[in-house]
Amino acid sequence: MSHTGVLVLRLAGPLQSWGASSRFTRRTTESAPTKSGIVGLLAAAAGIERGDDTRLAPLAALRFGVRIDQPGTRIRDFHTARHGVTGASMPLSERFYLADAVFVAAVEGDQRLIAGLHDALRSPVYAPFLGRRSCPPAEPVDLGRYEETTLEDALTSVPWQASAWYRRRHRSPQTLTVLRETTATESTDAADVLRDQPVSFDAAHRRHALRTVVTTAVPTPLPAGDGSPHGTHDPFAALDDLENESA
Amino acid sequence: MNRIFLDVHALQTVPPSNLNRDDTGAPKTAVYGGVPRARVSSQAWKRAIRTCFADEHLLDPAELGVRTKKIVELLADRIAGLDPAVERETALKLADEAVRAAGFKTEVPKRKADQAKKDDAPVPAPEAKYLVFLSSRQLDGMARLALEGAADITAFLRKKENKARAKELADTRHSVDIALFGRMVADVADINVDAAVQVAHALSVHRVDNESDYYTAVDDENTDEETGAGMIGTIDFNSATLYRYAALGVHLLADNLGQGLRDDEPRTEPVRRAVEAFVQAFVDSLPTGKINTFGHHTEPDAVVVKLRTTRPISYVAAFEDPVRSDGGGHLREAADRLAAYASDVERAYGDPDTTLTWVLRVGPATQKIADLGTEASTLRELAAAVGQAVTERLEKPA
Repeated sequence: MSHTGVLVLRLAGPLQSWGASSRFTRRTTESAPTKSGIVGLLAAAAGIERGDDTRLAPLAALRFGVRIDQPGTRIRDFHTARHGVTGASMPLSERFYLADAVFVAAVEGDQRLIAGLHDALRSPVYAPFLGRRSCPPAEPVDLGRYEETTLEDALTSVPWQASAWYRRRHRSPQTLTVLRETTATESTDAADVLRDQPVSFDAAHRRHALRTVVTTAVPTPLPAGDGSPHGTHDPFAALDDLENESA
Repeated sequence: MNRIFLDVHALQTVPPSNLNRDDTGAPKTAVYGGVPRARVSSQAWKRAIRTCFADEHLLDPAELGVRTKKIVELLADRIAGLDPAVERETALKLADEAVRAAGFKTEVPKRKADQAKKDDAPVPAPEAKYLVFLSSRQLDGMARLALEGAADITAFLRKKENKARAKELADTRHSVDIALFGRMVADVADINVDAAVQVAHALSVHRVDNESDYYTAVDDENTDEETGAGMIGTIDFNSATLYRYAALGVHLLADNLGQGLRDDEPRTEPVRRAVEAFVQAFVDSLPTGKINTFGHHTEPDAVVVKLRTTRPISYVAAFEDPVRSDGGGHLREAADRLAAYASDVERAYGDPDTTLTWVLRVGPATQKIADLGTEASTLRELAAAVGQAVTERLEKPA
């Protein structure tokens, strides 16, 4: 415990796309960042080459969790391509993106590894992107590094990261959904499996293993002095209270 | 590793247009900040940039890749160019073996082979089974290697070290377009090239709802009594002030380009030329979707370029809260926002000591952008200044 640390990322931008099982012409996205996507982002920042499975292994072994702070909406992109020489049409493809989403992702592991990755994010070799190269983050992704803490604690305490417009339009939710890996002692009975545990990013034989994911909810952590997401004057608060009473 | 990132930001207004369509023919859109926006996909704009390299003569054709299936014939030509004594048939065989040793699969297309048989013509040259994307320099290297083993090419390339050399030749000294945008070869996964540039989807800084133009067309030859339209239809369009963003890993570009095309020039020279061409083409290019219908030829009103030693930073969040038009368009407000946001985000996350900034802008509406950096008066001047700074960074890291 004393030698583990947690690195927290804020993933926000107009578009993100986190595929876990996409092949060929239909490129879907999960509703939250995948572990392979985030490990890939960190590995790229650290300059780990695609075929370098040895250097990838410790990153893939990090415990991973993600919190859905602003779910976003799914949009479909229709993609055409033409043959470079003949001009003939190439197969059509569909790409799905999450628009307007904000996530908090965290990885937990050896403190020195975490510190190294934190530095790499601030001075990356390959620039980070949100699941697809055409989706750069809207702001630098790192939200800081925590020592002597756990993945669960970090995902519970990092303040709600939803955008200002989202806070204005939606009242702060009671809870936020967290998707994370189980702890060593936790039962996996209620867990889902997702094939997004990276084994190799080698372009010739990209491989992913299954990973168990538990879904939990954490109380929405509002930043200090932000008890109301509407600020001090909120004429609708009274109405909401009435609604709550009648509910 | 010495990190050098270049970010390019642009505000560009397009009049009613349909630059990039979805499958219903409507301009592409996205939701950002809770409202619909106009969107032009990164793929569409990257294609426009690539086309711009050649059309505007920003780069020597030798610096651009050749994308072809007829790679064997092309290499045979190079071999013949180096040694005119080699007969055509021999040159083709040498070329075919070299191409295969590099890892590309070739075959004589069946239809062409059958036709040749019927005509009693010589067997046609083999072709790659997919589009192969190689630079001039790579073709020259492979031609030289093939000639070296001309005595017995099969035995020569069976040797492990020679086969490795063939692969190495196809995997270094990439053309500028491959070095920037990457290459995907379906079969030869180990010579994929990771793109050095990220191009974001262009997004409008304001709310956009697509509009629909109902049109009728008259049949000029219709002299019947029955009058009316020859055809009717609709075209969807929108007009937008777009925020465009790209980030280029100059250190990755340098890696991908390797030694460059000529031995007699400094190593930094091909990188400088590629960076200048990229800056020019990014700013100047425009997807041509329905351009004859809408004539949306515009240039960006404001361009901000940053050269950094740390991470690239997108300013798209400046427009998450959509700009509202007060009847005077969106540009002035967008430029003001961009200027304020850029200063804010750079203070929080940037490194002012090592970051260089240039600005190119048009008109009084973009006045506030001027304070962000050194003003260039022309696009050419901007590109040259960036190229010069890149060269200095590569030679003497900040």
